[in-house]
Amino acid sequence: MKMNKLLLIDDEEGILKVLSMSLRHEGYVVHTAPNGREGLAVFEKEHPHVVLTDLKMPGMDGFQVLRRVKEIDPDAEVIVITGHGDMDSAIEALRYGASDFINKPVRDEALRIALDRAREKLEMKRQLRAYTTDLEQMCQIATEEVRRKSEFQDKLITSSNDGIVATDESGTIILFNPGAEKIFGYSRRELVEKKNFADLYPDEVAEEFRSGFRRKRDKRGWGWKEVNIQAKGGEPVPVRFSGALLYEGDNVIGSVGFFQDLREIRRLQRELVQSERLAAIGQTVARLAHYIKNILTGLQGGMYVVNIGLDKDDKDKLKAGWTMVQRNIGRVSDLVMDLLTYSKEREPEYRDCFPNDIVEDVCELMEAKAAQNKIALVRDLDPAVGQVTMDPSAVHRCLLNLVSNAIDACLFDLSENKEWRVSVKTEQAEDNVIRFSVTDNGAGMTSDVRKKLFSAFFSTKGGKGTGLGLLVTHKLVQENGGRIEVASEPGRGSTFTICLPYRRDAGDGIRRRARAGKNH
Amino acid sequence: MSKKILSVDDDPDIIVFVKTVLEENGYTPLIAKNGETGLAMAKVEKPSLIILDVLMPKQSGIRMYRELKNDPELRDIPVIILSGIAKRTFLRSQEALTEFGDEPVPEPSAYIEKPVDPQELAEIIARFVK
Repeated sequence: MKMNKLLLIDDEEGILKVLSMSLRHEGYVVHTAPNGREGLAVFEKEHPHVVLTDLKMPGMDGFQVLRRVKEIDPDAEVIVITGHGDMDSAIEALRYGASDFINKPVRDEALRIALDRAREKLEMKRQLRAYTTDLEQMCQIATEEVRRKSEFQDKLITSSNDGIVATDESGTIILFNPGAEKIFGYSRRELVEKKNFADLYPDEVAEEFRSGFRRKRDKRGWGWKEVNIQAKGGEPVPVRFSGALLYEGDNVIGSVGFFQDLREIRRLQRELVQSERLAAIGQTVARLAHYIKNILTGLQGGMYVVNIGLDKDDKDKLKAGWTMVQRNIGRVSDLVMDLLTYSKEREPEYRDCFPNDIVEDVCELMEAKAAQNKIALVRDLDPAVGQVTMDPSAVHRCLLNLVSNAIDACLFDLSENKEWRVSVKTEQAEDNVIRFSVTDNGAGMTSDVRKKLFSAFFSTKGGKGTGLGLLVTHKLVQENGGRIEVASEPGRGSTFTICLPYRRDAGDGIRRRARAGKNH
Repeated sequence: MSKKILSVDDDPDIIVFVKTVLEENGYTPLIAKNGETGLAMAKVEKPSLIILDVLMPKQSGIRMYRELKNDPELRDIPVIILSGIAKRTFLRSQEALTEFGDEPVPEPSAYIEKPVDPQELAEIIARFVK
């Protein structure tokens, strides 16, 4: 049994003796003292749990003992023993902190009840103290934990490369990390508790937050999207933005926005584009130089043959040499025309024409080359295609390029014993559109080649191609508001299809469509 | 009788040019516009020299060169490659064919990158046709 240490103070020796005997019998460890002064000395030495003291004693009386004991140990239980019917003293003692009183003569029954009550009180106090201590400890641990977490989060936010901006429920900025300072150009001091998110965010972002604040629980966050924010100096800064509303239960308590700086990425992208462009220019120049060198070779050869013809007065040689010179001058002229067409904006020249006649013209021009190489050149013309208003020279140019490519595709086809065939087809398509298609059963293309078809100066014909033909064709088709499509399979051949709009009478409509086509 | 020289090329400019150079230097020119015809003519005519372009549609000069060198009757005819592609590229193509399992073939007697001067072409031809 704990808390069983008693101090008994009384100036009557008889009472001390009787009470201590009876209390020891009950299992208490009892210390006794005959007066207040000695009683306090014992108290300080033994630290009893309960003090039983007579109030009326010579020298230091029970009140003084009570006060001193409470000063030394506020938790000690003091029971005072009062004279019979001395309620005033009892009440006085209770006011001074006594836990109970018993009247003289002390009866065992009353004493036991008082002691039990005192021990209960002590036990409660002990438990309370234990709880309090535990609570304090737990509170300390929890506080420490919270502090650590908060410090950790602070560091996370501070060291984040992303700009993090948080607001309270009114939209006032309450957090602005160094990442945000770098992006927005403002310092924390300028914004925190001073500005609203609307002062900082671009309109479209601010509007999202505003709508989020208005509609409860409707929206919690936004995925990443790219926007331009305006930095302090007015400089637009490209960022990736995502945001979230902060909730406590159903109530919005604030917002947070995350901003990733895209300036460096954009700079690298620009550099990449620039270096790709330079590489493309380099390739273009090399290819053109090669092609021009070929033409020069032809011209020099022609000159040589012409000179021989002059020396020998040989008309056949003169003719052959002169043909070489003419052919190569033709190549130079074609090249220059292609380059001009490719580099200049050109307004389509609309005229009344018969598309089927243009196809006939082109086929006649290519007939000799096709026949020489045993390639059948087939026309498949839709009689429904009548007179229309179009840009005939553009159509002519495009078809000539496509048919010439189709013949080359047959020439470069490595298959054996194939009956090569190039067919040119016209069709009256929907909505005032004529569809021209050029199909060959030649070499065909891999998807790699197909992807590069309309890119700058790409050629599969070695020194024999400028890589300009399809580029020019593509551009002409776009300028005329049409579109071009390709289907191809290696070893099986290719089909190029051009759809061009027209009007039955000349007007502005087609011109507008042509312009719209350019923006694609 | 003057020596026969076969020129295999698809480029009309080169055909006229080489033909004229050959005539001017006292040879009899034979002309083929692709590898297939060229090989057939070589077998029939047994020329003293073959001038071969590498980049031609249909049967390429690369293939024709190998067939010439693998044919016991034709392999001793000297071959001059006259080409728009660099010598390195041509040799690499031959190596590649060898790697694919073909028999290795000797290098051509001469390799000329276009353009070529008529005088230079005549001198090179004269080295192999005595």
